[in-house]
Amino acid sequence: MVSREKDKLEALRQEVRAFLSKNLPEKWGTPAYKAPEPGSPEAINLSKTFTKKLYDAGYTGFGVPAQYGGVERPPEERNIIRTELLRQGFPLPFVGLGRLVVDTLLQWGTEEQKKRFIPSILNGQVHWIEGFSEPNAGSDLAGVQTMGVKDGDEWVINGQKCWTSGWDYGEWGFLLCKTSTTAPRHRNLSFFLFDCSTKGFSRRPLRQMTGEPHAQYGELFFDDMRIPKDQIVGEEGRGWYVAMTTLIAERGGGQVGAAAGEAGLMGRMVRSLGGVDDLIELAKKTKRYGQSVWDDATFRRRIAQFAIENEAQRAYGVRLGMMIRNRTASGNEASMTKVTRTEQGKRMGDMACEMIGAYSQLVRGDERAIEEGDLVFNMLMSRGTTIYMGTSEICRNILSERILGLPRG
Amino acid sequence: MAIEIGLKEEQVMLKKMARDFLATETPKTFVRQMMADEVGHSPEKWRKMAELGWQGLVFPEQYGGSAMTFRDLTILCEEMGRAVMPGPFYSTVVLVGLPLLDFGTESQKKEFLPKIASGDMVCTLAVLEESGDLWADDLHLKAQKRGNEYVLTGNKLFVTDAKAADYMLVVARTRRTENPEDGITLFMVNAREWGIWIENMVVMDQTRKQYEVRFTNVPVSSANIIGELHGGWKILQQIALKASAALAAEMVGVGEQAMEMTVAYLKDRKQFDVVIGTFQALKHRAADMLIAMEYSRSLMEWAAECVKENHDDVAMAVAMAKSYCGDSLKFVTDSGVQLHGGIGFT
Repeated sequence: MVSREKDKLEALRQEVRAFLSKNLPEKWGTPAYKAPEPGSPEAINLSKTFTKKLYDAGYTGFGVPAQYGGVERPPEERNIIRTELLRQGFPLPFVGLGRLVVDTLLQWGTEEQKKRFIPSILNGQVHWIEGFSEPNAGSDLAGVQTMGVKDGDEWVINGQKCWTSGWDYGEWGFLLCKTSTTAPRHRNLSFFLFDCSTKGFSRRPLRQMTGEPHAQYGELFFDDMRIPKDQIVGEEGRGWYVAMTTLIAERGGGQVGAAAGEAGLMGRMVRSLGGVDDLIELAKKTKRYGQSVWDDATFRRRIAQFAIENEAQRAYGVRLGMMIRNRTASGNEASMTKVTRTEQGKRMGDMACEMIGAYSQLVRGDERAIEEGDLVFNMLMSRGTTIYMGTSEICRNILSERILGLPRG
Repeated sequence: MAIEIGLKEEQVMLKKMARDFLATETPKTFVRQMMADEVGHSPEKWRKMAELGWQGLVFPEQYGGSAMTFRDLTILCEEMGRAVMPGPFYSTVVLVGLPLLDFGTESQKKEFLPKIASGDMVCTLAVLEESGDLWADDLHLKAQKRGNEYVLTGNKLFVTDAKAADYMLVVARTRRTENPEDGITLFMVNAREWGIWIENMVVMDQTRKQYEVRFTNVPVSSANIIGELHGGWKILQQIALKASAALAAEMVGVGEQAMEMTVAYLKDRKQFDVVIGTFQALKHRAADMLIAMEYSRSLMEWAAECVKENHDDVAMAVAMAKSYCGDSLKFVTDSGVQLHGGIGFT
């Protein structure tokens, strides 16, 4: 019995490996592989094709009931699939922010909304963007000023959103806006889904401190944009509570992420900025003051500390995933890994720059820049991580208030 | 508040039983009484624990134990840490009982384990010497062969619970070669032998007493060698591994207790006409304490599982857990003192 179970899992492992060797892009995982520019049409196309194949093979779409397109598999199988995907350097299904919509709709959506929107997210065909932050409502999200006014069977939206990732390729968006000027705070907001091709919607890029030509973040403008009334999620005036589900999912505390074994691992993005192995490799090949940085005990201990922190976050992610699935955790706990992954990412970025000394001043474009300027780019990139998705300070407020039960000031 | 997961039903029961028992039997008044006591051991409480099966928790049934796992033992360690329970449990069970179980001969196990399990025997490990380091080259206490026995001469420091102990597992040098790790041998020594002289060291933590133990021509039978002659170093490493995992569990218990007390205080104490728990500077510190303890627990549970399963990564997992839990405990208890203000250090 036990061995038959093992054989079955081993067969699945081989199946996933065969699938990957057949379907990953040519030269994937070798230095010869040239990844398309993130956010470019080629990159989007690649992610759509690959995610669709993964979904069709039953390797993604976990944590969602089958009637909404979900894929049901026991945890051991999901674990094998995930491990094999990770082994190939993270060609994980790219559903982007759509996964937040899935968690949100599972909890708040109508039957019709779940059937209409979830399947095309799970198979990676529709990419979503988030319309939460505004120029004057960042950490104080409940203070959004974008206004929605009811007009017959439609809502008319006017206002502006900003710091929107995927601003340029998003096809659908979700939106938190004010729908009452009289209701009390937190009860004056509603949550909508909108089609980015709707008249009255426009967008433009924001430049960021890394100076890269392709903007990852943008601004959204709503100028009398009309949304049909069946695209409100939850009740009118209850948008704040709907948005809380979205935010919990975003920080890694959602049911869907937990089912996929990714609880508390919003750090996928952070980790892509460089891990402990990269630091070790850099230390080994960097020579300062006549010796290898790897032979410097001070650096080695600091790298070991990062490795311990990584393991702590991994072990906590596993526990949290179990707790979320058992519903003994609310998901707010994921703010812990949001804080620590991102704060750690900054320290790791700093350390890489420290190792390379004077060369840490050279950015992309200088022929002498180490690793073509990627190290410095990542160090700068990491600065955003402790701000987006709820600053470290907001996350600590959440932990102290919602987990420890300390009072609000 | 601290969330328990991954515990089986019987483990949840063990934890609850331990917490209830310790709350009733070893309250703060008892802890203070034991701290003031020279030996710091209550035979009455020791017997009660034995009746619950704690000392023999991980021993197989044929040695009077309950055949539970190392992971179960760490649950007890956690709760003992939470209660800052004084007494020789850690010395007896973790430092001596486990190596006897792992490396003792059948007759040694039969001789010692049932007595430990029944509460009739208290033990401790005598290992460190003047350097204070677990470093083979620094271990000098000499064991000289004389007929069928060995004679021990030398000094041990930082020996926990020595005055309560009936037997000591003594780390001795039986030969000196180029490799300092060779020639180390472990002996089970009757602590009441002539030639053993014990004196208190004045340590900060009076819930775990430590002593200097001097051995002058102390005889011990060759039958009391644990493991191989000259081959004790690898046993010591195994002891250190399990002891570290058990300490990590204790630290998680202490830290969670300190955190819970501090959070309760933040909700209660008023200054500037408001509860101080409304101040973000303090809330953020409390959030960091929560993170430190949740991560500590995660690493500790993983390390304990690795010990239990003798997983390939066990050395790494235990080292990481010990390191992280230690740093976290310092941060959390120090923050606890700070956030309690004046009553924190008085």
